[in-house]
Amino acid sequence: MGLLSLAIWTPIVFGVLLLAVGRDEHSRAVRWIALIGAVIGLLVTLPLYDGFKLGTAAMQFVEKSTWIERFNVHYHLGVDGLSFWFVPLTAFITVIVVIASWESITERVNQYMGAFLILSGLMIGVFCALDGLLFYVFFEATLIPMYLIIGIWGGPNKIYAAFKFFLYTLLGSLLMLVALIFLYNQSGGSFDIAAWHQLPLSATAQTLLFFAFFAAFAVKVPMWPVHTWLPDVHVEAPTGGSAVLAAIMLKLGAYGFLRFSMPIAPDAAREWAWLMIALSLVAVVYVGLVAMVQKDMKKLVAYSSVAHMGFVTLGFFIFNDLGVSGGLVQMIAHGFVSGAMFLSIGVLYDRVHSREIAAYGGVVNTMPNFTAFALLFAMANCGLPGTAGFVGEWMVILGAVKANFWVGGAAATALIFGAAYTLWMFKRVYLGPVANDHVKELADINSREFLVMSLLAIAVLAMGLYPRPFTDVMDTSVAELLKHVALSKLN
Amino acid sequence: MIDNISWLAVYPEIVLLVMACVIMLVDLGVHSPRRTGTYVLTMLTLAVVAVLQGMYASSGNTFYGFGNMVVSDAMGNWLKCFATVAMMVTLVYGRPYAADRGMLRGGEMFTLSMLALLGMSIMISGNNFLVIYLGLELLTLSSYTLVALRRDNATATEAAMKYFVLGAMASGFLLYGLSMLYGATGSLDIGQVFKAVNSGQIRHQVLVFGLVFVVAGLAFKLGVVPFHMWIPDVYQGAPTAVTLMIGGAPKLAAFAITIRLLVDGLLPLAIDWQQMLAVLAIGSLLVGNLAAIAQTNLKRMLAYSTISQMGFVLLGLLSGVIHGNVDAAAVENAYSSAMFYVVSYVLTTLAAFGVILLLAREGFESEEIADLAGLNQRSPLYAGVMAVCLFSMAGIPPLVGFYAKLSVLQALVASGQGLYIGLAVFAVVMSLIGAFYYLRVVKVMYFDAPLTASSVSAPVDVRVVLTLNGALVLVLGLLPGGLMALCADAIVRALST
Amino acid sequence: MSQTLSASTLLAVPLAPLAGALLAGIFGTTFGGNWIGRRLSHTLTILGVLVAFVLSAMTLKSVALDGARFNETLYTWMVVGGLKMEVGFLIDSLTAMMMVVVTFVSLMVHIYTIGYMEEDDGYNRFFAYISLFTFSMLMLVMSNNLLQLFFGWEAVGLVSYLLIGFWFNKPSAIFANMKAFLVNRVGDFGFILGIGLIAAYAGTLNYGEVFGKTAEFGGLAFPGTDWMLITVICICLFIGAMGKSAQFPLHVWLPDSMEGPTPISALIHAATMVTAGIFMVARMSPLFELSDTALNFILVIGAITALFMGFLGIIQNDIKRVVAYSTLSQLGYMTVALGASAYSVAVFHLMTHAFFKALLFLGAGSVIMGMHHNQDIRWMGGVRKYMPITWITSLLGSLALIGTPLFSGFYSKDSIIEAVHFSHLPAAGFAHFAVLAGVFITAFYSFRMYFLVFHGKERYDQNPDAHHADDHDHGHDNHHAPHESPWVVTVPLVLLAIPSVVVGFMFIQPMLFGDFFKDVIFVDAAKHPAMAKLAEIFHGPMGMALHGLQTAPFWLALAGVALSYYMYMVNPALPTAIKARVQPLYALLENKYYLDWINENILARGARALGTGLWKVGDQAIIDGALVNGSWKLVRWVSGVVRWMQTGFIFHYALVMILGVFALMTWFVWRDYFLQLIK
Repeated sequence: MGLLSLAIWTPIVFGVLLLAVGRDEHSRAVRWIALIGAVIGLLVTLPLYDGFKLGTAAMQFVEKSTWIERFNVHYHLGVDGLSFWFVPLTAFITVIVVIASWESITERVNQYMGAFLILSGLMIGVFCALDGLLFYVFFEATLIPMYLIIGIWGGPNKIYAAFKFFLYTLLGSLLMLVALIFLYNQSGGSFDIAAWHQLPLSATAQTLLFFAFFAAFAVKVPMWPVHTWLPDVHVEAPTGGSAVLAAIMLKLGAYGFLRFSMPIAPDAAREWAWLMIALSLVAVVYVGLVAMVQKDMKKLVAYSSVAHMGFVTLGFFIFNDLGVSGGLVQMIAHGFVSGAMFLSIGVLYDRVHSREIAAYGGVVNTMPNFTAFALLFAMANCGLPGTAGFVGEWMVILGAVKANFWVGGAAATALIFGAAYTLWMFKRVYLGPVANDHVKELADINSREFLVMSLLAIAVLAMGLYPRPFTDVMDTSVAELLKHVALSKLN
Repeated sequence: MIDNISWLAVYPEIVLLVMACVIMLVDLGVHSPRRTGTYVLTMLTLAVVAVLQGMYASSGNTFYGFGNMVVSDAMGNWLKCFATVAMMVTLVYGRPYAADRGMLRGGEMFTLSMLALLGMSIMISGNNFLVIYLGLELLTLSSYTLVALRRDNATATEAAMKYFVLGAMASGFLLYGLSMLYGATGSLDIGQVFKAVNSGQIRHQVLVFGLVFVVAGLAFKLGVVPFHMWIPDVYQGAPTAVTLMIGGAPKLAAFAITIRLLVDGLLPLAIDWQQMLAVLAIGSLLVGNLAAIAQTNLKRMLAYSTISQMGFVLLGLLSGVIHGNVDAAAVENAYSSAMFYVVSYVLTTLAAFGVILLLAREGFESEEIADLAGLNQRSPLYAGVMAVCLFSMAGIPPLVGFYAKLSVLQALVASGQGLYIGLAVFAVVMSLIGAFYYLRVVKVMYFDAPLTASSVSAPVDVRVVLTLNGALVLVLGLLPGGLMALCADAIVRALST
Repeated sequence: MSQTLSASTLLAVPLAPLAGALLAGIFGTTFGGNWIGRRLSHTLTILGVLVAFVLSAMTLKSVALDGARFNETLYTWMVVGGLKMEVGFLIDSLTAMMMVVVTFVSLMVHIYTIGYMEEDDGYNRFFAYISLFTFSMLMLVMSNNLLQLFFGWEAVGLVSYLLIGFWFNKPSAIFANMKAFLVNRVGDFGFILGIGLIAAYAGTLNYGEVFGKTAEFGGLAFPGTDWMLITVICICLFIGAMGKSAQFPLHVWLPDSMEGPTPISALIHAATMVTAGIFMVARMSPLFELSDTALNFILVIGAITALFMGFLGIIQNDIKRVVAYSTLSQLGYMTVALGASAYSVAVFHLMTHAFFKALLFLGAGSVIMGMHHNQDIRWMGGVRKYMPITWITSLLGSLALIGTPLFSGFYSKDSIIEAVHFSHLPAAGFAHFAVLAGVFITAFYSFRMYFLVFHGKERYDQNPDAHHADDHDHGHDNHHAPHESPWVVTVPLVLLAIPSVVVGFMFIQPMLFGDFFKDVIFVDAAKHPAMAKLAEIFHGPMGMALHGLQTAPFWLALAGVALSYYMYMVNPALPTAIKARVQPLYALLENKYYLDWINENILARGARALGTGLWKVGDQAIIDGALVNGSWKLVRWVSGVVRWMQTGFIFHYALVMILGVFALMTWFVWRDYFLQLIK
């Protein structure tokens, strides 16, 4: 059994175990088992970094065996520079979420933890799958646990949110399914993604495919104008759900663009790049403005997620290595930062049970240590150098300026908007005199929360100060991808 | 003088028939209200039959009996095997329910269901218009009785009435169509009919005229628009156990005769009947999904979902022949996808109704969606089984329902025709709408608070079978290869002759 | 590269303060559990800065005397598609000088803080912040590439944000720090674009390599336009400088930044951080020299800032704000010098200004302490009796500021005026007028403040709201007489006073006309002869001082002092009278040219309104309301219809079936007839 399989199935096995035997009577044991599962899940991903060969765009840690003979489907796993980092990232976030939900979840703990572990395994599977159908199966399967997480442990309007999440994303991915089947037939009965990359396709076919994939991935990212599910879902989802959603799930879509849209339909991708860039810029500017006026912390961070993911898609479709690697780095960085932001909100929510900005003020007076972390994450969110948030934005802006100064200029407004909405929220929530009795009675973070925050803080700083390990891994694959996309596949 | 081959061909059916009569007699001696003795005997019989048919099927031989009246081929035997198993499962789920409602007074239920099964088997193995029709009548007649089994129950009898009248009409259609074809081709033997039609000597219009009626009759059995009207009322009106008997195994038989008549017999007319099926499929997907949204009654909702699911089966059936040129690979691809769809559908339906039957207590039909509220708190296991079924019907991987949809869509897209790809897109959009009402049930089970805290109890046999059933939906979702291969092989063999 | 400079030593310069900052910041606060007490934390941080200062001084010595240079990469931050992004040091005369200035002022401020923040609860936190600032500033000036420059650029911005909002319970303070950060971000917006263009066309971020490539992209036109690429680059970069160095119209944050504790006003908002922009432009001189358009732009902006910010100084009553506005106008002077290609002069003024402005701020702070945290100069007066040291040092500072011959300010400022005078650029005329007028204004408001604070009769007990500027009331009875500050406060004053007086006299020769800045600052003498002309007329510092007595600036300054003396000593009623006369003008100044009003009510509010509109209309009404939920409602409606068709009447059902058959039949059987009919 290969490392990747381990990374995928370890959490799933633990999750199923919890679902099978877990009971609320012994929720304490359940939590520990979940933690152990998550930690093992993380540990098995570490040898990957050790064994990952730099300087090659080839797939690594490949596992291949027949899965469904009739449709020539293979259980085909592997990672390259594009997908590598998301495997440990997912495992890491899972550990964080398990610890973070330690006390806030009290009922049906086994189902909660089980859902997260299974979800984690599935998402890792998405990043590792090299077979179109396998990818789709993982991609879709993630909907089920997330749907349950939102619906069972969500807020007052959870039902609407859960349905919106499920149906919105399902619509996109069903169209992708048709596209996959089309490719299967075009390629003479193969679901092998690598084969599809080499498959010559007519202009119309490429355009149709591009938009079919666009439907699936744009919704997931989410790109404007199909982003409206995200704020609703974030607001209702439990803290852990929001964290995983923002940190990993959105990345599934962005990753899809790199793995499918661009290499399979390069000509269409080039032809429609202007549209993608336009939408991304709208996400950056429009959504930045919208984020500024949010009254609900989670909604605000949700919108800022959309804006940040706008940077990702922008980076991808300016077709230069700064942009694409920048987009990838931004994905990872946003994984850390947005996760941290949502968990910080969770810390406050657990105490005051309100997400309204207006319900807070002067938190620093009662929770100085927590505020220190919150400040770091806020600064990371508005892309301060030295934090993870900066790296991706910097690369994408530089790449965009290289591609077209005005695009770069529009993108760079994020410096202003990002700072505006983040700091304004920070000011209203954390700074100032103590606003009300709730805030007066706040207790500073306990050692468990301190641990969570520190882990994330370390990640954020480490990536900000020394991003080279990330870019080195990507460099060759990105270069290869760009070379591939530059060639026409028309027949 | 009947030769051995013929005996061999119908051996399982004979066993079934004999035992049906035996059990009817034995039952006179059984007095326990739950009819345990009868039940066990029935189960044993069915088990034996199933094993027999399984052996036949896996041997893969094809042979004809009674002068080509009946055929025993892999496809038929597998379908019969599945039907028998489905009937067993149905009885397992249904017995406590039936017992609570005094439907076991006198063991008719067992006998009738065995006769129904016999009818299905005959339909499936029929290679002759007449045989098929006889089997069909045997099935439907016993079904009517089963629906009316609670004669003291108004809705049930009303449902039986509707079922009977409409069913009679449908049989009429079918019989009329068949006789038209007989008149045109001068033969009842499907093989002969095929040759005659293929010869191209016969006036096309006459054939199509008959074909329309045949399709209408089949459409009624499959329950597709516009011949679907009976389904919701009968599903809802019939006692749930019986609903499952109608909604489960018979679909396999219906599929079989569709293959026999349309493919084995009238493949040369594919252009025509494919277009008809296309119309019916679109209607079914549209009506089935849209109507299901508005339902509050779970059985009724599942009825409409059946309609839309059958629409998908038709999509599989209609993508076999492209531009009138019969390509073996395409044909096999299409029909096996349809077969896979039907089988997985039956498997899923069994489990779903199993849960409903399980939750129904004496004097309480658990058939409103609201009745499932908070099932997850009451029994995570059964909630899980139900959820698996629903997600499977919604076509979410990794569950068997997804591969069913996948293979059908694949068959459509494989045709490479823009029209068919359009159909595929239409189908997925419809299944998006479909996803909503399946999700709604999941929502009720998982997100809503339970009405009663009482935990769910069930007889051990039910619990075991139901768990296995649910597990199978998941396992076949993870490893669908085997079943797919089986269907493909069955179809290949069925068409090779 | 010279062997006298070792990477490790240089590394120690920024890292020592960082270490201090981390220790005090983590273990001196609740975060690390208050392990370190006040005494230890200020000792540690001061030690760190001291080390930095000593090493910087040594560096300067070896750079200046042995001509040592250092330009190496310490580690590679990342490499993307051949574009190297690194962290490294470039040590030359400019850097070394900045290092010394920064560390020296920082050291003074550290010591001073012991006294100033004595009673504050955030004592350790404060020390952590200022040490962190020292680190960031050093990283900024020592950088050898644009990436690290941007790092430091933002880092100092962050620390300034933290320090302006140091008293986080003070609404005005937390508004001011957000404002500061955002306005700076507007500058960074331009800055990052400039860097982006450089990266795009030079393919590198390393200073040396960029300057080496100027020949390649210097002549290019900006794609899609007929502008010079280099002009766009320079203006973008300069916009960054405008944010950091508070040039009009991005100056609005600096006056508000006075909400922070006085020591950081001295360190960050007078001496060091705000001069980062000046430093950056000087650093980039090889680029700016290529674009006269950019230089003109710089001249205009600088001139506007120098003159009009000076006006505002006149009417301020908050002692710190007076100094703040004088800082703005002095920054304007430096900018003007840059515009005139007199980069070395700008840097020279930067240095002198750092000393005397830090001195003035710390002096003001000392007065504020003496006055029990009253900052309103209208309620001071006669303080010189009580606070002799503060008084003398402040006097020296003011004299330096207004450019009294022989004082440091004189040399730098006069050189600027001369340089502008010699510049050939179109905008030079306006700039020259502005800086001349500025001299008068500067003298006037500086001494207005000086007289009101240190002379005249004592008004500090008439203060109606004694504690209006007092954010942390220590229960002082404000009718106490003012008292001289403790030695930790006065010593830095004295130590700063010395350079404020002498440094100009000592260093003008080498820095402006010697080869101190040779091969560091590049001037295209052919096009921009200002420096060359300046050199011609320069005959040693003493000669310059004597000559200075006969030039306009001196007399303007004198006039300014005299006027202020008359108005505030001789005839105190006059100002109010004038005020009444020129009410509209006064209102204009009072409202700082209404820039804040525009920012808050038009820009900020407009952005929020736009955001709300997009949210409510775009997201909620159109996308969600109409498209998403709308299509959903449609489906519901249709399903209702379908359901209604299921009547439950058996004859309906039968009818439907028959119709179905009929329809199929009509179509499939008689299709051909129909088709013929249609034809």
